[in-house]
Amino acid sequence: MSEEPTFEQAQRELDEIVDRLERGDAPIDDAIALWRRGEQLYRRCIELLDAAEGRIEELDRSSGPAGE
Amino acid sequence: MAKVEATVYGDRKVYAVSAFNRGVASWLGRLPEVWVEGEVTELRRNEAWATCFLTLKDPETGATLPVTIARRTFDGLRLDLVDGERVHAQGRPGLYEAKGALAFRASTIERFGLGDHLAALERLKRALAAEGLFAQERKRPLPRFPRAVGLLTGVDAAARGDLVAAITARFPPARIVIAETRVQGAAAAKGIVRSLAALAAHPEVDVVILSRGGGSFEDLLPFSDELVVRAVAGCPVPVVSAVGHEQDTPLCDLAADVRASTPTAAARLVVPDLDELTAGLGRSRERLGAAVRRRLAQDRTSLARIADRLRAGPRLMLERRRAAVRASGGRLRVLSPQATLERGYAIARSAAGVVRRAADLGPGERVDVQLAAGSVGARVEEVTP
Repeated sequence: MSEEPTFEQAQRELDEIVDRLERGDAPIDDAIALWRRGEQLYRRCIELLDAAEGRIEELDRSSGPAGE
Repeated sequence: MAKVEATVYGDRKVYAVSAFNRGVASWLGRLPEVWVEGEVTELRRNEAWATCFLTLKDPETGATLPVTIARRTFDGLRLDLVDGERVHAQGRPGLYEAKGALAFRASTIERFGLGDHLAALERLKRALAAEGLFAQERKRPLPRFPRAVGLLTGVDAAARGDLVAAITARFPPARIVIAETRVQGAAAAKGIVRSLAALAAHPEVDVVILSRGGGSFEDLLPFSDELVVRAVAGCPVPVVSAVGHEQDTPLCDLAADVRASTPTAAARLVVPDLDELTAGLGRSRERLGAAVRRRLAQDRTSLARIADRLRAGPRLMLERRRAAVRASGGRLRVLSPQATLERGYAIARSAAGVVRRAADLGPGERVDVQLAAGSVGARVEEVTP
């Protein structure tokens, strides 16, 4: 994949990879490649989630505490 | 009785003065005896005279009537009368022939005293009560906010000042319409009735205070007059009978809608207390404000809850996704070939690819063996299919 995938794309692909590896029908070389790709996607997902959380915290601070 | 002779001049019959007087006296002497009530004035009694003289005065109108009574009869009655006392005299009119003067010739005189007054009042009270004039169900409630208070007082009554002071102290913006009238003496009853009607007819007077003052039994008599009592009972606006001594109960008190014994009590009945009113309004306003503030606080709380949920939403979503990704990551780790190699397994590859069966190889064939770290090239020495 040339462009950076969105979170949803990355997660979907990660899940597909895991499903495929679990079925155990991939040749070992493919499996290694798939696994590498899976690890990459996992890190990508975590990055995106961290970024989203950062944005939420920023919004929380700028809108002030609840009440009053 | 001597005959009354007239002299005839042509067509005219003419009487001598003494003959005329004799005739009138004779005619008066045939009238039946009656009872007359009045106040004693100018009582003259002299041991040397055979007759006592006195004048009876009508307390209502001031009309007078000369009265004579034989001194022996008068002394026998042992009345000890003094001027101003009220009496009933029985007798008939008579003429003093020498002077042509009319007098009431009393055969007896009775004092009409306090007891008699009381008895008369009691009779009137019973009669009016029987008519229902004093009935509790006739009593009307007083207005809470009278547009104007009618005040009926004597011409120089100190009670008026006290009442005005008490009313304005309690309710400074009060409007007071004052009607002054004589409340004592002969014409008092009629004056009271007239003033009461005038006050009730005033377009803004919603309640009338009948200020009767205290005073002697006689002073209060007009307030028990049947005319006054009926006027009070029939007054179109409620009447407060006010100020007097607890022990006096003129009949107007019974006919009035309420009775007050002090100016302060009367004021309390006819006008609201402005201070209390203001305080009550203040309390209502506070409660109103408190209610609004409470409502506002409730709304704020629920808004805060919704805001919390709003803010928690994305986090919750993030956490769910994070959990899903972690689960996928965990599964991926378990499946990792590297992990398998780490446990000591190796992958053998020939020119044909990954070697799964020993029989696919022959002795001397080259094999690449991948380990967890690095790989080695090797040759097959023997095959055990």
